Amino acid sequence: MDEISKFTNFSHEQLVSIIAKHKDRVAFKILFKYFAPRLKSYLLNFKISNQKAEDLAQETMLVLWQKADKFDSAKAKISTWLFRVARNKYIDQVRKQKYTEVNVDDHVDLMVAAEKTDQNLEEKQNSGRMQMALQSLNKDQLKVIKLSFFKELSHSQIADATGLPLGTVKSKIRTAFQALRKELGEY
Amino acid sequence: MKITGIVPDEWIVSYASGALSEAHALVIASHCHFHPDLQKKVKTAEDIGGLLMEDSEPSSLSNDLFDDLMKKIDTLPANDFQPLNDNGLPTPLAGYLGNKSLDQLKWRLMGPGLSQVRLWTGPNDERLWLLKAKGGTKVPLHDHNGLEMTLVLHGSYHVGQDCYSPGMLEIADDDTVDHMPVIDQGDECICLVLTEAPIKIHGVIGRLLQHFTGL
Repeated sequence: MDEISKFTNFSHEQLVSIIAKHKDRVAFKILFKYFAPRLKSYLLNFKISNQKAEDLAQETMLVLWQKADKFDSAKAKISTWLFRVARNKYIDQVRKQKYTEVNVDDHVDLMVAAEKTDQNLEEKQNSGRMQMALQSLNKDQLKVIKLSFFKELSHSQIADATGLPLGTVKSKIRTAFQALRKELGEY
Repeated sequence: MKITGIVPDEWIVSYASGALSEAHALVIASHCHFHPDLQKKVKTAEDIGGLLMEDSEPSSLSNDLFDDLMKKIDTLPANDFQPLNDNGLPTPLAGYLGNKSLDQLKWRLMGPGLSQVRLWTGPNDERLWLLKAKGGTKVPLHDHNGLEMTLVLHGSYHVGQDCYSPGMLEIADDDTVDHMPVIDQGDECICLVLTEAPIKIHGVIGRLLQHFTGL
């Protein structure tokens, strides 16, 4: 059995817990191999260089290593946590702005318990869930959500990019969010 | 139905996606500090961001990226943690102010009963302020050239029949005309205000005041 296969059935959240307790480099490597390429893809949406996207993805994973003990799998998904760190690092280093965080940890409902699922199943579930949720949106709703998350465009910039009136952009984002909340409600 | 004083969902999505400016993000984050329901919505919106990130087609990485990171980790010092002070402000704003209390800021008089601290000026002349007004003060009648967000931190004010108290956010835009907030009698009112463009004050005296204050 190689060193990685001993963690085959561990969820991402369980791996974070192992990193927090034991600073286990194999567990960290598994998470790095899964998330770093996806973080890089997300960051490349913002028209930064390949090198910068790798640097930011690497720095985001470094935060995971350093603060794994602060992560509570009962309150958050690891993908949410990493997304938030990557978003803030991009804004801080590329846009040169501070992005104040909302403290959401004290008021969130319990999420999926880590031991309920294994890693491979969890990856498929997350991906399938998002695909299904996105399919529930109409064309304009999908467009404004993607322009928000993948281009970080403001309401008025989305209006300029799509030709939709500003009020329509706002209502499309609002209804898209409500639809996604409904679809991901049990997530 | 429009709910007075609570930010609409499209701003929650823009916050979570990273689409807001530094000042807009601070106002929304400080507003959310008062409202657990909004915090839940932010979390859901950030969950969506996380799932979209996770759903991205993986990019190839440089072969040595992981080994490089582990080398960096081996040379890092231990983390220091600096607890935040409790000064009665929403945590996001307290952090932004470097944990200074409101009394420690340099307030500048801007007219009868009104003083301000300018916190930030954006690339398109957006401005972030703290405004302090004595009870009973009438803010000069004005219209808007762009968006204005006002988050009440202390005290309260009325605009017509609508009352804004701590934690409530008023959003005014080009369609908001003859805007004249009146501070409620008694306590002073302190607000975090974001303006995207100078307001259009009615009357000569008001415009003279504007010249000196930059409102």
